[in-house]
Amino acid sequence: MITQMHVKGLMFDPYNNAYIVVLRDEEQSDMLPIWVGKSEAGAISMSLENVTPPRPMTHDFMKSFLDAFNAKVISVVITDLSEHTYFSKIHLMYEDSEYTVDARPSDAIALALRSNAPVFANNSVITKQSSEELEQWLENLKPEDFGKLDS
Amino acid sequence: MNTVDQPNEQSLVEYRVDRILEEANTDTRIVVLARQDGVLDTFPIWVGAAEGNAIKLALDTMITPRPMSHDLIKSFAEHLNITIQRVVITDVKSSTYYATVHVANKGLERTIDSRPSDAIALALRAPCPIYITQDVLKRRSTTNLDAWLAKLESKDIGAPEVQET
Repeated sequence: MITQMHVKGLMFDPYNNAYIVVLRDEEQSDMLPIWVGKSEAGAISMSLENVTPPRPMTHDFMKSFLDAFNAKVISVVITDLSEHTYFSKIHLMYEDSEYTVDARPSDAIALALRSNAPVFANNSVITKQSSEELEQWLENLKPEDFGKLDS
Repeated sequence: MNTVDQPNEQSLVEYRVDRILEEANTDTRIVVLARQDGVLDTFPIWVGAAEGNAIKLALDTMITPRPMSHDLIKSFAEHLNITIQRVVITDVKSSTYYATVHVANKGLERTIDSRPSDAIALALRAPCPIYITQDVLKRRSTTNLDAWLAKLESKDIGAPEVQET
């Protein structure tokens, strides 16, 4: 079973000096926080804020690479969580065949946002209410904490 | 689809990545390309830290536990049978270099607009040759560049700055 997730925003995690991509399902009942590096967060942030950089950034180039041969991103699935690392797959359609490519969630999400492709998560990896502590922390965050990067 | 005027093959000069330099106290890396046809020449390109690291990982043939962004692009190429033929640094405008990545699939050739850093990071992984057009070589700014590079190299690059006492 997979559930469609929406990229709700990005936050800075001062404790780990990293960024968190927050995914939530339609009903806002399930949440998936994914820790990513600064440049990966930047790639996601640019899409969320509809920023068009003067030159193509890496994931814009990635999209152009697929566009050059009319390969389409159908969907992205966060498939697994193992030793604090999330795994994901990018599903591509190219000349009537489907291809599944292993990727880090940060790359997969940055590409999905640029391709208007849906992001799904395997139900097995969705953080249920077990992460209450994190939920509480997220709820205490101010809207200003979301979405902006300092670079 | 971004198409750039196809440079005349005659006008292309092959370079390879010689090394990556770190600029102390900045978020910048310098990718130093070295000319391959016997003429002694280096060509520095300033890139961001993340872009420099993406190139360095490939230069040092480091295998990361998870695929990095340019590994993913290479993986797309492998899955879809796309050949990455060459990358070319084609233009320079207001101190910004422009590059194209030449790809082919079943005889169909495409040219993709890119930043030099992405093109080079991909070229090292493909692997495929890196070219600079004669036009760019002519138009690059060489003022004090060699002296500046020599000064940089005389320092211990990559080591943390030593506090003078």
